[in-house]
Amino acid sequence: MFDFPYFITMLPDIWEAFKETVVMIGIALSISIIIGLPFGVLLFVTDKGLFWENRFVKNIFGFAVNLVRSIPFIILLVALFPLTKILVGTTIGPIAASVSLSVAAIPYFARLVESSLRDIDKGVIEATIAVGATPWMIIKDVLLPEAKSTIIRGITLTVISLVAYSAMAGTIGGGGIGDLAIRFGYYRYDNTIMISTVVILIIFVQLIQLIGEQFAKSLDKR
Amino acid sequence: MLEFRNITKIYESKKKQVVGVDDVSLKINKGDIFGIVGYSGAGKSSLLRCVNLLERPSSGKVLIDGVDLTQLSSGSLRTARLKIGMIFQHFYLISQKTVGENIAFALRAAKTPKNKINERVKELLEMVGLTDKKDVFPAQLSGGQKQRVGIARALANNPSILLCDEATSALDPKTTLSILKLLKQINEKLGITIVLITHEMNVVKEICNRMAIMQDGKVIEEGAVYDIFAQPIKPLTQEFINSVVSFEIPSEILKDVKGQVIKLLFKGEVAGEGLISDTIQQFDVKGNFLHGTIEYIQERPLGIFIMELQGEKNAVNEAKKYMEQRGALVEVVKHV
Repeated sequence: MFDFPYFITMLPDIWEAFKETVVMIGIALSISIIIGLPFGVLLFVTDKGLFWENRFVKNIFGFAVNLVRSIPFIILLVALFPLTKILVGTTIGPIAASVSLSVAAIPYFARLVESSLRDIDKGVIEATIAVGATPWMIIKDVLLPEAKSTIIRGITLTVISLVAYSAMAGTIGGGGIGDLAIRFGYYRYDNTIMISTVVILIIFVQLIQLIGEQFAKSLDKR
Repeated sequence: MLEFRNITKIYESKKKQVVGVDDVSLKINKGDIFGIVGYSGAGKSSLLRCVNLLERPSSGKVLIDGVDLTQLSSGSLRTARLKIGMIFQHFYLISQKTVGENIAFALRAAKTPKNKINERVKELLEMVGLTDKKDVFPAQLSGGQKQRVGIARALANNPSILLCDEATSALDPKTTLSILKLLKQINEKLGITIVLITHEMNVVKEICNRMAIMQDGKVIEEGAVYDIFAQPIKPLTQEFINSVVSFEIPSEILKDVKGQVIKLLFKGEVAGEGLISDTIQQFDVKGNFLHGTIEYIQERPLGIFIMELQGEKNAVNEAKKYMEQRGALVEVVKHV
C-alpha cells in the first residue's frame, strides 16, 4: 500500500507542491489580514451603541460579507476566473489561486475580527470614551490590543481554512499539495501520494494550531 | 458648578418605554462631594452618565459652569470630557496595557507632549500610592489597587469634576474606606467636585457633604448630608438612614416603659449629655436612657438619644420645653 522507495523518488515533487501551498496561503493570508482587519473593525464600530454607529454602512458591509461567505468556494473559484485573469494574467498556478483564496478569506477573517472585538467588555470602551479619547485612539489602543489574542486565534483559524480551500483550488489548476493529492492520489489511485499528502496536511494543520495557540497565549496579559 | 436642568431619560424598547430619569433638576456646587443614593433601578446611574453624556438625556440640559454639554459638537464634547474624570465599579482598565500605559492613554487623549507624559504618570502614581506598580498589568493588582489606577487615569488631565459610578461597591469594607479617604484627599487638595452614586449610606456618611435620594427616576429629597441624617423626611430616606443609624427599640421594652418616651436630637455644638443632667437636676423628673449614640457626620457631632421621662405631667412638659430652649429637638415617641 505505501511504497517507500517510490515516496523517496517523489519527494522533490512533494516539496515543490508544499512550497506552492505555502505561497498561496501566505499571499491569501496577508491580503485577508490587510483588508479583513479594517473590515472587521468597521463592522464592529458601526454597530448599534458604538461611536461610529451607522446602520447603512453596517448593513452594506454585512451583506457583502454574507454574500461572499454563502457562495460555495468551488463556484467562487470558477466565477473569479475573469478577475484573476485581469489581476495575475493567468488562471493557473498558486499565484492565480491566491486571488480567489483571498476573496474567500477576507470576509471570513473580517467576521472573526468582529466577534473578537465583540468580546471586549463594553465598559472598557466606555471608560476610554469618558476619558475623552478619539475614535482612532480607541481603535488603536483599546480595541486592537484588547482583542489581540483572539485575533491571533482568528488568524490561526483562517490559515487552517485556507489549507482546506487551497486543496480545492488545486483541483482546478491551482497547484500545491491539494493538486498533488487529486492528480496522483485520486485520479491515478496512487495510495502512496494520497497518504503522504494527507499526512503532510495533518501535520501542517496541527503545527499551525499549536504555534497559533502558543503565540496567542503568550500575548495575553489577563 | 454642575447643574442638571429638567433631565429626563427615556429608554425605548420595542414593547414599551421605560423612564430612567424623570425630570430631575439638581445643582452641585464646586468643591462639593455630592452623593446620589437610591436602590438599583432608581435612575442614579443613568443620571450620573448624563454628566459626561455617556448617555444622552431625552430632554433637559446638563450645564457645567454654564455651558450646556448637550449642545456641543462631538469634538468639543471630547474636549469637555477631558475635564470630567470618571471611575467605575468594575474599574474598566485596558487589560493588555500596563498601569503606566493606562494612565498615559488618558494623557495622550489630551494631546499631552510626549516628554511630559512620563513625569505626569509618575506624579499621578505617587498621588494614588502606587509608585512601584507602573510596569505591572492590571490582572496582577488587587481590586483596591485597580481602583487607584482608575482614579489616577481619571485625574490625569486635571478635571474639575470626578464622577464615581458605584466606585467602592466591588470592594471590601477596609479597601472601601481607604479609597474614600483618597477621594476625600483629592477633593480637599485639588478642589475637584465629586459626584458619586451609591446604595451604601456609609459611603455618603463618610465623605459627602451634600446628597440627594432618588426613587423611580425622581429626586425625592435633597440637602446637606448632616441635615438629612438629622431629620430625614421621606420614608425611603428614613429607610436609608436607618441602615446606618438605627434606633429600633424592641416593642417588648417599649411596652414595659411607664413614662413618656422621647427622642432627643442634638445638632452640632449642643452638648447633649450636659443638657440632660441639667434638666434632670432642675425638674422633678427621672430620666432613663433606652438608646443613644453620637454620630460624627462631616466631623460634626449628631447626638440622638431615646429616653424615658418619668414624673408629673407638668414637670415632664417643663423639662421638654427647657431642652428645646437649649437647642435640642424633642420628639415624642410614646405618650404615657
